[in-house]
Amino acid sequence: MPSSYNLSYTKTDADLLNTLKSPSKGYWVALAILSIGLLIGAYGWGSQIYYGMGMSGKNNPVGWALYITTFVFWVGIAHSGTLISAILFLFRVRWRAPVYRSAEAVTVFALCVAGLFPLIHLGRPWVFYWMLPIPQMGEMFPNFKSPLVWDLFAVFTYLTVSSTFFVLGMMPDVAILRDKFRGWKKKVYGVLALGWRGTDQQWRHYTAAYLFLAALATPLVISVHSIVSWDFAMSVVPGWHDTIFAPYFVAGAIHSGLAMVIILLVPMRKWFSLKEYITDHHLASLAKLMIFTAFVVGFAYAIEFFMAWYGGDIYKRDVFLFRAFGPYWWSFWGLFFFNFILPMLFWWHKYRTNTVWLIVVSIGVSIGMWLERFVIIVTSLSHEYNPFAWGSHFLTSTEVYIIIGSFSLFFFLFMVFAKILPVVSNWEVKEVIEPPKKK
Amino acid sequence: MSAYKGSHILSVYATIDELIEGIHALKKEGKKKFSVISPVPHHDIEHELHPKPSPVRVFTLIGGLFGFTLGWALTYYATESYPLIVGGKPYISIPPYGIIAYILTILFGALATIAGLFINARLPEFVIKDAYDERLSSDHFAIQYYGDETELDTVKDILNKTGAVETHKKIEEIPQKNQFVD
Repeated sequence: MPSSYNLSYTKTDADLLNTLKSPSKGYWVALAILSIGLLIGAYGWGSQIYYGMGMSGKNNPVGWALYITTFVFWVGIAHSGTLISAILFLFRVRWRAPVYRSAEAVTVFALCVAGLFPLIHLGRPWVFYWMLPIPQMGEMFPNFKSPLVWDLFAVFTYLTVSSTFFVLGMMPDVAILRDKFRGWKKKVYGVLALGWRGTDQQWRHYTAAYLFLAALATPLVISVHSIVSWDFAMSVVPGWHDTIFAPYFVAGAIHSGLAMVIILLVPMRKWFSLKEYITDHHLASLAKLMIFTAFVVGFAYAIEFFMAWYGGDIYKRDVFLFRAFGPYWWSFWGLFFFNFILPMLFWWHKYRTNTVWLIVVSIGVSIGMWLERFVIIVTSLSHEYNPFAWGSHFLTSTEVYIIIGSFSLFFFLFMVFAKILPVVSNWEVKEVIEPPKKK
Repeated sequence: MSAYKGSHILSVYATIDELIEGIHALKKEGKKKFSVISPVPHHDIEHELHPKPSPVRVFTLIGGLFGFTLGWALTYYATESYPLIVGGKPYISIPPYGIIAYILTILFGALATIAGLFINARLPEFVIKDAYDERLSSDHFAIQYYGDETELDTVKDILNKTGAVETHKKIEEIPQKNQFVD
């Protein structure tokens, strides 16, 4: 963050409080719309539980469909938060300070939403505890050789570590709110601040803990989506059984996560007047990072096709031809356009500093990344080895309701967060600006 | 888990330069029983106080090792208690169990780090017993000095000379001894 910014400790506090003032009418309207979306999702899930799994479009052979597609999508969205908060922290990237809190919130809320999908997919969500590592009848534990069990461990650990990092990072900022507010708000923020005073001893242990948490969270960025990718790659389904899946999924996750961060940051900086914190430089930096991730995913698409041709496996080759020229061609070419072609606009300075284009491209990438998971899951399962076992997935209204509900839940959580807790890390912004000095 | 250590004063500064001057003045007088409060960690303050590396790292290490061991133990125990033999192959499988051990290393490392922070930083402290100034989380700095009443008055004068804008004093209430002694 350039030091030429006209910020002081007093101003950052005033701006922080400004984000928490009473919400406008527009905020309540948005929250009401999202609540309707939530009810739609609840109706979809409720009706699926009541009438059975036939309400979803899942069938034989497409036994994993939109729920797992959306699960992988949300886990992917979660990745940018830890990339920005932990990895960029370890590399001492100065521009991360104003944007990381929102990115971290994206991680936590996206994981909360993602965690629902395996339950929705189960059919009998009330026996979810069968997935936990506790013995069932006859001392029988879940099978630890199954990637689905690894997945449970990985996602749970990721949620725990990123939530801890998120909450811990807010402690000094919540102490500011405790000291600024009066009445019941002071009491609530007082409890949340846990008695933080900012003594040198507290800072000494705090900065150490923060560093170690960042160091522990960093391998998770790589491993969580690698493990999610092994849900597919460990099987023998053509189109899934690929060694490139782990890096391919991680790059895709960061790609979609960056897009979601931009989608949230652009309106947020306008509504909360945070242009001095989240500058064009920050947005342009995120856009540049997206060019890089677009190239990585583009490379992965190319390698997948190359290996399908070069590997000589006729089943795999057929699946890839099916992806590009079969009935799901629109999803394949859609993902290629949205994930690789569209972000190339960011090579031009005018596009990466134009908020409208930033939003357009980011929404495009989000759609593209969802399509990518759809293509991987649905096209492979619907076109396996035996032509007599080929099939299709038919979209049902229940699936649409549940997906609408998941997006509504994510944005609902983010909007509530933005009004009760600081969206910009005040103490870390203060770290990169000049402290009060004698004139 | 209170950080309260007894009688003390809290001298509040408006600028970091004056705070550093205050620290210099105390050092010059050979006075060491103080701590510094600031809204953010600052290199100048660290440079003056020369803090030792935090013991939180030991907690992280122990937590990580515990998680690593637990991961192997859990998977080994689960397989031994219900062996699933497929094709006559060994049923203890290192690579997948390594994944569980790796994830639990991170999980318990992180949880132990938080425990280490709370234990060492004396948190949570829902009622702050020390003298405190609400500007300290925002844009002011402070030196907190511990000592008896006479010493506190001397230190207060020293710190006021270096530019402290306000000084809060907190004297420990010594419990009355039993008056009815034979």
